[in-house]
Amino acid sequence: MGIRVDFRKRYYRKKSDKKRGIEPAFLLDAKFEAGNELVVLFGRSGSGKTTTLQCISGLLEPNGGKIIVNDRTYFDCHKQINLPVQERSLGYVFQNYALFPHMDVKKNIAYGLKGWGEEEKDRRVREMLHLLHIEGLEDNYPLQLSGGQKQRVALARALAPKPDILLLDEPFSALDMIVRMKLRERIKQIQRELGIPVLFITHNHVEAFTIADKVVVFHEGHVQQTGTPEEVFYHPNNRHVAELVGMSNIFEDAVVVEADDGSGTVLLKSGEMLIRASNAGLRTGDRTSWGIRPENIRILHKDMEGTIQESNIFSASVRSTVNKGSSRLMALEVTEYQGLLLAEVPNQLLENRDLKTGDVCTIRIDINRIVLF
Amino acid sequence: MQEIYIILESKPMIEQIWFPLAITLKIAVISTLAVALAGVIISYVLARRDFRGKWLADILVTLPLVLPPTVTGYLLVVLLGRNGFLGSILYNITGWGILFTWQAAAIAAFIVSIPLMVKTTTAAIEAVDRDFEYAAFTLGRKELDTALFITFPLARKGILAGIVLSFARAVGEFGATLMVAGNIPGRTNTMSISIYSAFQAGNSELANMLVIILVAISFLSMALTAKLVNSWRI
Repeated sequence: MGIRVDFRKRYYRKKSDKKRGIEPAFLLDAKFEAGNELVVLFGRSGSGKTTTLQCISGLLEPNGGKIIVNDRTYFDCHKQINLPVQERSLGYVFQNYALFPHMDVKKNIAYGLKGWGEEEKDRRVREMLHLLHIEGLEDNYPLQLSGGQKQRVALARALAPKPDILLLDEPFSALDMIVRMKLRERIKQIQRELGIPVLFITHNHVEAFTIADKVVVFHEGHVQQTGTPEEVFYHPNNRHVAELVGMSNIFEDAVVVEADDGSGTVLLKSGEMLIRASNAGLRTGDRTSWGIRPENIRILHKDMEGTIQESNIFSASVRSTVNKGSSRLMALEVTEYQGLLLAEVPNQLLENRDLKTGDVCTIRIDINRIVLF
Repeated sequence: MQEIYIILESKPMIEQIWFPLAITLKIAVISTLAVALAGVIISYVLARRDFRGKWLADILVTLPLVLPPTVTGYLLVVLLGRNGFLGSILYNITGWGILFTWQAAAIAAFIVSIPLMVKTTTAAIEAVDRDFEYAAFTLGRKELDTALFITFPLARKGILAGIVLSFARAVGEFGATLMVAGNIPGRTNTMSISIYSAFQAGNSELANMLVIILVAISFLSMALTAKLVNSWRI
């Protein structure tokens, strides 16, 4: 059960490019497997997420490979299988909802129930209205609905024919924060109740983290990493993934100057900065990249400055700050390093300290939070 | 020709108006029905399908819009005459010549008005967001089903505009009709042809009446359409 995807899709700038053997302008190489769980396809716009969804749904035909959902082959290039969209039994929620504007909510939801008896249809529509808490809206037209309501109707319509898989293309991108949070919860619940694979596209890393059972990270048409949210967010396996999950501080110039001293850590030289990190099998002389999330850079209290003898304590000057309300984003220039570090510090930790541009402070970078890749 | 005018003038006014009005409406309604059906199909294919020679199909269907009506009429005479490609087949089977009949006038009206239908409807179908169609496909609906219940209803303003323009064009058709159907009183003298005849014969009273009726028909069809379209939400 679940979904097995391994296909390629090529895009050419011009049709004639293909004949002339010119390299495709974009190559999507989608490969991942998942069970009956909530899978987030995560990546920037243009990384191939939507194309992947369209190939799975059958709206696009891949150039090679196979797509298997719940042991049913949707597409297999070698066996020349390409099930038409209509026969794939899937629910698809479009980014713009694509609710039929000339039909009321009831007709929209019932549209996929062709061949059902009137009574059955009615019962199913009522079930869907109930499942998504939109009872009372059945006679409204899409134009009369709010964004969140449209989203719920789109979900109801997609789920009504009892699909084998649910595909959601950035379903919440146009909704406000509170509606988003509620709907995320609802989708998670629905996935658990129905036990079908749900593929969910987003470029928002908070959304990916909160909703996913499994995250598939796309970058420039290639799957970079597949894993639980924790694996992907705390242990990104390359720079692209690290950037995508919000690791704003990435340094690619580090050399291991000391390893295997029994402490389970390595000492890295990055620029003029000597920094210690947990060892992940590196040896002295190896080159590596490292990164740290902005929220894992601590600004030490004034009283503690100079009193602790730990690694990864640096002196830095504040170059700029942006107040985000509950926290403050600060660009810090480490004295030993010419580059800038981005730190996010909760405002309550800075209560009695008004750090302004040009002020000097002491920072600590947590050894265990440093990610090597 | 002189005899024809004499016949025309000798009949009472009401008859001289009634026949052209009836034959014009008959030709326009029949040609518009055919244009609507063929136009919607051609427009859907042009808007939604990719095929070899699409550009050629597009030009061929638009050509009557830019050709002088005399050229369209001449080509139709060549095609539909007893020795013409289609005309000879028809004559051999039925023994009937289509030229100089109201049916020929209807064909002329069809040919000159189909570009208006296709241009307007193609644009309207292209403007329908494909996601609506894709959504219908993912809900298990086939393409024909989707076209009938999603695409055409969403493009209906454009389709109706095309139908009205085609109707108005058919009502006002003159040049090509005169060439393929002539000006036979009591058989093919449509409104616009009768106006010309009356004007030529100096019967300004008749010409005035026919002009007023023709303007009224065009005005009414436009006004009713606008009212209908405004009552549609989408």
